[in-house]
Amino acid sequence: MYEEPYRWVEAVGNRRQYLDEQFKQGSPVVALTYDGGILLTTVSKGTAKLYEIYDRLALGGMGHPTDLEKLRFSLLEMAHVEGFNRSPSDVTGSRLVKYGIAPVIKQAFEEVYKAPFIVRILVAELGVKPEKDALLTINYDGTFEETVGCAVLAATPAAQTKMVSYLKEQMPAALSLEQAVDLALRAWAIGSLAHQQEETDQQTEPDPSAGKAGAVTAPVPSADVLMAHVRGIAGGRTLECAVLERQAPGTSKYRSLKPSDLAPLLPKSLQSVVAN
Amino acid sequence: MGMQGDFLQLLKEQGYTLGVPASVGTGHALTNATTILAFKYRDGVLVAGDRRATAGNMVMYDRTDKVLEIDRHSVMAIAGVPATAYEMVRVLEHSFKYYRRTQLQELSFDGKLRAISKLLKDNVPAALAGTGAVVPVFAGYDLEQGSAKIYFYDILGAEFEGVEYAVSGSGSPTIRGILHYLNTWGDQPLNRLPEEQAMVQALRLLTSAAEFDSATGGVNREASLYPVIKLITGVGVQTVPDATLKPLYESQVVRYV
Repeated sequence: MYEEPYRWVEAVGNRRQYLDEQFKQGSPVVALTYDGGILLTTVSKGTAKLYEIYDRLALGGMGHPTDLEKLRFSLLEMAHVEGFNRSPSDVTGSRLVKYGIAPVIKQAFEEVYKAPFIVRILVAELGVKPEKDALLTINYDGTFEETVGCAVLAATPAAQTKMVSYLKEQMPAALSLEQAVDLALRAWAIGSLAHQQEETDQQTEPDPSAGKAGAVTAPVPSADVLMAHVRGIAGGRTLECAVLERQAPGTSKYRSLKPSDLAPLLPKSLQSVVAN
Repeated sequence: MGMQGDFLQLLKEQGYTLGVPASVGTGHALTNATTILAFKYRDGVLVAGDRRATAGNMVMYDRTDKVLEIDRHSVMAIAGVPATAYEMVRVLEHSFKYYRRTQLQELSFDGKLRAISKLLKDNVPAALAGTGAVVPVFAGYDLEQGSAKIYFYDILGAEFEGVEYAVSGSGSPTIRGILHYLNTWGDQPLNRLPEEQAMVQALRLLTSAAEFDSATGGVNREASLYPVIKLITGVGVQTVPDATLKPLYESQVVRYV
C-alpha cells in the first residue's frame, strides 16, 4: 500500500510521529566548548550516553540503547580503519557523519517496511586549534547540522531551541571547565523542564490557547531553580560528564570525568548527588 | 560473530595481511642489527635502545627510535626488520585503542601480551623467509596489579617473562652478561636503583654494546645524539629528554670509556 507516493509520504509522516513519541522520556545532551577543549554533559539512567569514538572525537546520544550501540560501533569501525590505513589526523567528525552514519540513518528512516534508528546523535570533534572545534548533530531522519560553540540534543525542537538560546545568552567569551559544567547543567535543566512542560501541556489539552500563551511568556527560570531541578532528577541517576582536552598527554584526548574528578567542579548543592 | 573488539580481525575482513608472502624471501640468515634492553628499577621499568639503523655494513640512519609507545602504559622495543616492526606497533596501537573504546574497558595486560604473540605468529612465514623477522621486547605497567612487567619474544611468537631484565638485538650478548653481573653482585639489585642511577646504567650498557657491536650506535656527542630511554611508571610512559641524558653521560659514563 506504500507504493503510491501519497501513501509513502503519509507513512513517513507517521514515522515522525512515532519517533517523536520515543524521545519523550529521553534525557537531553549538552556539548559546549570551554577554554581547554569541549565538554559533554547529560544525566543518564542505566546505560551510558557519552562515549569515546577516536583520539579527538566524542559521541553523545539520545534514544534506544541498542540503536545507539549499533551506530557507535559503525563510527568506531570507520574511524579506526581510516586512522590505521591513512593517519589519525585524517579521521574527521564531519566525514564520519556526512559519508558514514547519516546516510545509513536516513535510509533506515525512509524504508518504511523496516525499523528506523531511534536515535539522535551528537558528535564533538576537538580541533588542533580551538577555532577548528566542531559539533555535529544528527536527527533520526539523517539530517545533520554542524555548529560551533555549543550544540544540544533534546526531545523536541522547541526544547532544543530553548536550550540553545539559553546557552547563547549565558555563554561568556571564555569559560573555565568549572564554569562550563555549571552552564551545561543549567542548559540541561532548561531542556528537561521544557520536556516536563510539554508533557503537562498535552495533558491539559482542553485549553490549548491559554497553555501556549503561558509557555511563550514564561520567564527563564533562575540558576537556583535550574540547579534544584538537576538535583531532583540526578539523585537516582548518573550525572555524566566527559571532556575532550586539548592539553591531555598522549594521542587520546577523551576523558570521562569520574565522580572524584567531577565533585570539585560542581556547585556545592550538587556535590552530594555525585558522591552516592 | 568473531571476537568482540578485535581490530586485527576487522582489518583482515577488509583484506589486510601483515607481512609479505614467504615465497618472496631468499631464506638468508637473520641479523637483528641493534641493541635494545629493558630492566626494572625502583619506580617501574626502564626501556632503552640505540638509534642506529643498518643495511648490511652500511649505516642507514642514526636517529631511529626503536622504543615505541603503544599506549599510556606500555612500550615495545624492536629488533629486526623495521618495516614489519613499525607496522606491528601501528596495529597494536590501534588494536588496544579499538578494544578500549568498543568494550569500554582496558585490554588486560595478559590480553596485550597475547595480541603481540598473535601478530608474531601471523608473521612467521615472512620471518622465516628472511624478509620480516621481528624480535621485540614488550614492557609495561600492569595497573591492575600495580607492578612493572617485561616480556621478550622469539620470532615465532613465544612469550617469556623477563623477571628483572630482557635484551634483544645483535649487541645484546655483550650486555646480557653485564646485566646478570650487575643484578647479582652489584651494589644493589637493579630493581632498587633510583631513576637517575637506572638511566646511568642504561647509558653504560648501550655504550658497551656499541663498543663490541658495529650495528649498535653509541653516543655521538658532537651530533648530540643519545640513545632513546623511556621510563614507565604508574603515571605512564615518559621519554627522557637529551638534556637530562647529556650531563649524566658526561659526568658518569664518559670517564670510564
